[in-house]
Amino acid sequence: MIVTLLISIGIISLISVFLAILLVIADATIGNYGVVKISINDGSKELEVQGGQPLLKALNQEGVFIPSACGGRGSCGMCKVRVVGGGGDYLPTELPWISDEEKEKNVRLSCQFKVKQDVAIVIPEELFLVKEFKTTVESIRDLTHDIKEVRLRLKEPAEISAKAGQYIQFEVPEYELTDERVYRAYSMASSPDDKNHVELEIRLVPNGICTTYVHQHLKEGDEIIINGPYGDFFLRETDKHIIFIAGGSGMAPIKSMLLDMEKKGITRKASYFFGARSKRDLFLLDEMRALEEKMPNFSFIPALSEPQEEDNWDGEVGLITDVVRRMVSEGANSEAYLCGSPGMIDACIKVLDEVGVLPENIFYDKFS
Amino acid sequence: MMKQTVEFDKIQQQMQKGVITLNGFLGDDKRKLVDILESDNLTVKNLRRTHEAIADRMEYFRKSGTEGLGEFITVDENFEVKVETVRGMLPSPFGGKGMYGKANTTVRNKKLDKSVVFTDLHIHFIGDHGFYEGKGSPFRLEPEELITVLEVPVVEE
Repeated sequence: MIVTLLISIGIISLISVFLAILLVIADATIGNYGVVKISINDGSKELEVQGGQPLLKALNQEGVFIPSACGGRGSCGMCKVRVVGGGGDYLPTELPWISDEEKEKNVRLSCQFKVKQDVAIVIPEELFLVKEFKTTVESIRDLTHDIKEVRLRLKEPAEISAKAGQYIQFEVPEYELTDERVYRAYSMASSPDDKNHVELEIRLVPNGICTTYVHQHLKEGDEIIINGPYGDFFLRETDKHIIFIAGGSGMAPIKSMLLDMEKKGITRKASYFFGARSKRDLFLLDEMRALEEKMPNFSFIPALSEPQEEDNWDGEVGLITDVVRRMVSEGANSEAYLCGSPGMIDACIKVLDEVGVLPENIFYDKFS
Repeated sequence: MMKQTVEFDKIQQQMQKGVITLNGFLGDDKRKLVDILESDNLTVKNLRRTHEAIADRMEYFRKSGTEGLGEFITVDENFEVKVETVRGMLPSPFGGKGMYGKANTTVRNKKLDKSVVFTDLHIHFIGDHGFYEGKGSPFRLEPEELITVLEVPVVEE
């Protein structure tokens, strides 16, 4: 009986060892795609990477940064890339993000698409300008009860070349809310003229991985990695009147554009409608008033939707959309630049349409 | 007594850390999904509410709060509500074709001086599946707290 039992255990152990060896061999052969080539933009750049990894990660490791706000989890839909050679079928995880039109152009979600053979891709040329920067936190200050301004000094490289209105990705290191590094996108609030610094305005989001890190853990002197610049939200070169609309941390790209206008001596008529609930949610009023002094054609119009008694507010009252409806009169000759949540952007577009701003003259940075 | 089916095993796998979200939906809760659902179901039943009634109330504040365009707005005198959207969308671990926006709705009950924060995915979780996330999950919602802060009405038998 015991002998039979021992033989059985021996046989089972042998089978287990055999299966384990098979798995190791399979992993090293079937799952090993070797070195594969990525040809970018008709061969203008060629990379050799380890096969089998997501395209986003492979590019990232070679210093080609594709914007992504979810750390490669397929939940932000930002990291789209055209795969014009070597692509296979779409994965179910890509499909919710890809429109029919994009399918025709072979647009793939680079965080989900794995490079298993030589591929040819097409990316916007400006992504070649995107770099990774080592930075030091130079200062942190409270703008409101839930928005902090973080000023980063660039160390390596020491300069960034960006357009006012663009954004960077902030790398959050491992800490209590995350056991891996994650990236989140934030618009730059600083003037592009100051190439050695990047300023961010970060609003605390409940349980937000990056915002909690910035609000509760980040200290002056800390080292932070960012990459960028990204985005096509920047001031167009026309002579139209400018309508800026943004509240909360949406002020960041607008402030950058205004500082840029001031530096470049752009004298176009511009109005900035800034929406907040009460006085405690307003910030950078002195800076905005100083810009009004320097730029005679610029007016800053803060509006409170629910001013408190103690605010003693004698400015505009109402939702920012109501204020825009009341005050904008030359819509047809205007361009609008909006930054905020999808709900806010959609509501503003509706009002801008009512006051005559043409759809092609409305530009926005939607937080989605 | 519900049984943990193979389908539930698959859903529970989707809820693990790093699959759909970095932190997953289960926290350090080691129970089977069916037991988590059963436990919260009992709590809600004992409080004479339903998951649907709780989700309806959440949806009401989500819709009302949207009008604040990202800032707090007063709703029904006793509540302050803010709906904030961050970049991205998430699929449900329960499957289905829908994607859910990453919108955080904060509801502050002024009388009680208490707040709750929930996402669009939570409204789906609770209304469609009676799921409040596992214990220890950073986004876990306690049914009792939701009912209290949102003033979810008693459901008559």
